[in-house]
Amino acid sequence: MYTVESLVAQIQGLSSSAGDLSLLLTHLKQADEFLHNESTRLFPFLEQLDPTLHSLGYLYILEASTSGPVTNEQARRLVLLISRFLTSCVADQIRLAPEKFIAVCKSFKDQVLMLEAPIRGVVPLLEAVKKLRSSEHLTTLHPDFLQICLLAKCYKTGFSILEDDIFEVDQPRDFYLYCYYGGMICIGQKRFQKALELLHNVVTAPMSSINAIAVEAFKKYVLVSLIYNGQFSTSLPKYTSSAAQRNLKTLCQLYIELANTYSIGKISELETYIQTNREKFDSDNNLGLVKQVVSSMYKRNIQRLTQTYLTLSLQDIANTVQLSSPKEAEMHVLQMIQDGEIYATINQRDGMVRFLEDPEQYKTCEMIEHIDSSIQRIMTLSKKLTAMDELISCDPLYLAKVGRERQRFDFDDFDSVPQKFNI
Amino acid sequence: MASSSSSGLTFKLHPLVIVNISDHYTRVKSQTNGCSDGGPPSPPPRVYGCVIGVQRGRTVEIFNSFELLYDPVTQSLDRAFIEKKQELYKKVFPHFYILGWYSTGSDAEESDMQIHKALMDINESPVYVLLNPSINPAQKDLPVTIYESELHVIDGIPQLIFVCSSYTIETVEAERISVDHVAHLKPSDGGSAATQLAAHLTGIHSAIKMLNSRIRVLHHYLVAMQKGEIPCENSLLRQVSSLLRRLPAIESEKFQDDFLMEYNDTLLIAYLAMFTNCSSTMNELVDKFNTAYDRHSRRGGRTAFI
Repeated sequence: MYTVESLVAQIQGLSSSAGDLSLLLTHLKQADEFLHNESTRLFPFLEQLDPTLHSLGYLYILEASTSGPVTNEQARRLVLLISRFLTSCVADQIRLAPEKFIAVCKSFKDQVLMLEAPIRGVVPLLEAVKKLRSSEHLTTLHPDFLQICLLAKCYKTGFSILEDDIFEVDQPRDFYLYCYYGGMICIGQKRFQKALELLHNVVTAPMSSINAIAVEAFKKYVLVSLIYNGQFSTSLPKYTSSAAQRNLKTLCQLYIELANTYSIGKISELETYIQTNREKFDSDNNLGLVKQVVSSMYKRNIQRLTQTYLTLSLQDIANTVQLSSPKEAEMHVLQMIQDGEIYATINQRDGMVRFLEDPEQYKTCEMIEHIDSSIQRIMTLSKKLTAMDELISCDPLYLAKVGRERQRFDFDDFDSVPQKFNI
Repeated sequence: MASSSSSGLTFKLHPLVIVNISDHYTRVKSQTNGCSDGGPPSPPPRVYGCVIGVQRGRTVEIFNSFELLYDPVTQSLDRAFIEKKQELYKKVFPHFYILGWYSTGSDAEESDMQIHKALMDINESPVYVLLNPSINPAQKDLPVTIYESELHVIDGIPQLIFVCSSYTIETVEAERISVDHVAHLKPSDGGSAATQLAAHLTGIHSAIKMLNSRIRVLHHYLVAMQKGEIPCENSLLRQVSSLLRRLPAIESEKFQDDFLMEYNDTLLIAYLAMFTNCSSTMNELVDKFNTAYDRHSRRGGRTAFI
């Protein structure tokens, strides 16, 4: 029969080496239910354990004590305790029990939100993600962390996580949420290309039926595509799920109309359209993005001018792009040069702008390193893809469907194609 | 009939001769085979010709060869032609003499001795170069043998018999280039562009590897000399320094720019190739995935009517 004291003693004794830890893990798994029953009494025992040495045991007890509903009072104490734990726990030990760890983090997030101080949760959760991270695996922890970052407006910390590649995903819902929140963080950081990539992932992810995350992501996807690319193509690529292909356009009709108006190229029409549908954009929380779409229209028009003219006066730019004065045109052009969107020089004496070519000559050593690292990355990617391709070729579901599609009698052999593979 | 020669002459053979003989043989063979297709394959024809070169002291160097017609009726080579050719060659290469004759076949035959004796009035000890045209992929050496004639007493009768001599291959710069060219012209299985590119790159790779190993030997040697483990040899040092001075030492910025630009272009092409490869794998993967998992995908071809 278990008592909490005996468990604590075991934890303290068996937390030193790898062999002991696996023994401890089995003990803890057996004692799990007991711990859950005793969840209210466990607090004082946490004092006896040191999170740096006894991470695994601490984790189990912590998880048991946070599993039930938590009041505001308890939340205050728990938040302090859990943040200390998350920053100081040992990565190897907690990787032995990842589900418990994720459960603890989830309840931590809920408590932090309950106390309405999401910023307190950012740093501990960042530590937690780093410790749990096991090469390219996406867990429920990631979207929770990103959600906290969004609510706390700490976009930069969230962005650092988005740099990693993902190869395996636990739950599709995690993936949708991760990409959606990630997209929003990138929009906040003004990294539109990465945002476009992430939102594209949500929209084209395999899904058996349409879900709200994909719909919201699609709306933002249209807007970001207009801001970054200046155009939006309504045909989704062929790897989009059929559920998405059929339903997304009908559900987001408003935004498709916006894209059509944008492609005409008249600022005034765009602005009237936005005015008429202002409340709908607002209710979707997309009004900020929509305003950025309008300003991107000016940029698009100026960029179109670089393809026609070598030099142009500021007055002419203002007229063509429908800006009010040459001063505004100068400001726009200056901003674009700074952002690297066009290459030009402004001669302020006579108000002429000369458009230049891309000065990149591709003859520096840094370019060599850049291309070399890209080649290495794509080689690893190619290996992974071939492995996946082979895996899916042996998938019984795939083989069954392919078998059904072939003609009954193959040209070369006279055995009929098997309809079902009994493996 | 063939034992090792005791005359003490050293033979040096130029690759031009070998290429000439093989070319002659190939032409004749393809011409005779072209006329008679169907029926049993005819035995490989024998071709004949003269070899010319220089004899200095004990060294016989065979430089060139020309073809001759063999008259099976008289069983001799065309004398008038030999004389005429000899005159022509004398005008261009005054030092060259007719050293002997060549033929193809797997082994020397009895009838060859007649031809050999007939040539003895031009050169008192002619050489007989024999090329074996049968292709043996296991064989490492050249299928060329050089025979001399010696007077041996067999059964109490002094007879001329053929004895084998050893030879070395001697090359002039021009010959080396052309032999290299011929060697690379046709890869062993007449491969496609891909195998030719691979062969080309392998060649360059092995050349660079060899250069690298030799430079490393030099470097090791110089370091040891610097440390004092090996006594200083000034003549070798002079040679090394002259070699270094011959290196192309282009350090200008223009060179650097152009070099880097070309290097980057090649890298970009490799990147593009990898991209295409990846895209095609990805495309196949997506197709398979759609077939397997998408419930309502359009199925091409006949579907089972449920």
